[in-house]
Amino acid sequence: MNVFRHITNFFFSLRTTLWLLGLMLLLMFAGAFVMPGSKEFQMLHSIPLFDWLKNQNLDITWWLWGLIGILAVMTVNTLFCSVESIVKKSKVTQWLLMISPQIIHIGFLFMLFAHLLSAAGASQSQAVAMEGTVVKLSDNATSMRIKDINISLDYHGYVTDWKVGVEYISEGRLFHEDIIRPNTPSVLRGFNINVKDMRAYPSEAVLLQINREPGALWALIGGVLFMAGIITLILLKIRMEK
Amino acid sequence: MYNNLLMWILAFSFAFYLFALWKRPLMYVGLVLQIVYIFSRGAELGRLPLVGPHDTLVFMTASIAAFAIPFSLSLKDRSEFLSGVSVTAAVFTAFAMTAKQHNAPLPPVLKTFWFESHVVLAFMSYALFAIAAILGGFYLLRSGKADIENQKDAGGETASKWKSSVEGLGYRAVLIGYCLFSLSMIFGGIWAYLAWGTYWLWTPKELWTSILWGFYSFYLHARLRKWWSGKPMAYMGIIGFMVVIFTYLGVSLLMKSSHSF
Repeated sequence: MNVFRHITNFFFSLRTTLWLLGLMLLLMFAGAFVMPGSKEFQMLHSIPLFDWLKNQNLDITWWLWGLIGILAVMTVNTLFCSVESIVKKSKVTQWLLMISPQIIHIGFLFMLFAHLLSAAGASQSQAVAMEGTVVKLSDNATSMRIKDINISLDYHGYVTDWKVGVEYISEGRLFHEDIIRPNTPSVLRGFNINVKDMRAYPSEAVLLQINREPGALWALIGGVLFMAGIITLILLKIRMEK
Repeated sequence: MYNNLLMWILAFSFAFYLFALWKRPLMYVGLVLQIVYIFSRGAELGRLPLVGPHDTLVFMTASIAAFAIPFSLSLKDRSEFLSGVSVTAAVFTAFAMTAKQHNAPLPPVLKTFWFESHVVLAFMSYALFAIAAILGGFYLLRSGKADIENQKDAGGETASKWKSSVEGLGYRAVLIGYCLFSLSMIFGGIWAYLAWGTYWLWTPKELWTSILWGFYSFYLHARLRKWWSGKPMAYMGIIGFMVVIFTYLGVSLLMKSSHSF
């Protein structure tokens, strides 16, 4: 019983939050020096984080493992503190003031969840393509054919715009057409296809970037909640001061 | 020719910031000149002048000077605080004048609301973190003096009231800065997803950005505990801005990342 109380007290404590944040900062600070010195980190974008971590030496990944551990404990700490705050302050008149920090916390947890999903299932690949090139997507069921490439240049030779028409084929049948433009990727079946680079001469060609980000939607939801919470909190504090 | 004229405007703003140490209103003249510079450069380039160290430093400096005005209005004795602001603004303007200008047209992926908002919000938040650091320095310089002067400071307030008012201003600067910085990170994530298909990259810049965000998260949580109020908060405001400078200039100049200059 006593041990249980110690554990709950630990998770309910703001002091725990501060220690966890401090340790998180120390680990990230260490990682900021390990990362630029290790070539292995350049591969980190092409495979899910967890797959990459399993195949790397602990000498360069210890801080990331530590960070994952800290974030796991921080998740429990955040949940405990948020629930406690809501229960303790449930009778306060300033309901929005009480709930807005908890919305920030929920947004933060959604963002952590997004990173967890991406760490388990994100992928990134690249392909050089010209008109007529067929690229097979990693679900092995869908292919994408480049229909046309249009690159606009100004009189100095700078790229001002581009437009890449694509067709999706599954089981030999064309089922979807799309156009990739700057900041307008083609999104289909969880794939996000962008043009990363291009060449206008001697023949038009593009470097396609094909991503899968299972956490993207959760990160967006988390971001919206986080911002809603923090903006509400600031506005309420300004109003209280007035 | 036009560019030379603009550089002269920037040089004058530097001089006005510097001379504001003696004649306070000159800081406002320096700010007005810098706003004129930013608008003129924007008109010259046909876009928001917010790419590369030169333009971002100018924008950050103007933001520091502009944000300092409402904060100074809450201080009874604001001259030392504004001196700190003038020196900071002069130093960053001098750096901006020596930094390379980015005059080439923007690649199409940078011509989007998400990118522009990401940069504007990031530098506005950096400016607010600078204000918090200056207030931290002001607090440390004056708190000893206020204690000695028989619990009275130059403005006639009691030392403890003065301390909590300066600390409260620093907290406000950090809280609003943190909000803008978080918004900037979210907008940056949305833009990166639309432009490159991923909202997060494991590069030194993103890692340092997370360190910065984690640091100010620590600041805001630590303030809820009494032990941290007073001098520790003032020191944290100063250390925080050092992290800002390394995240902004150090990482971009020294390390290969998605935000290299």
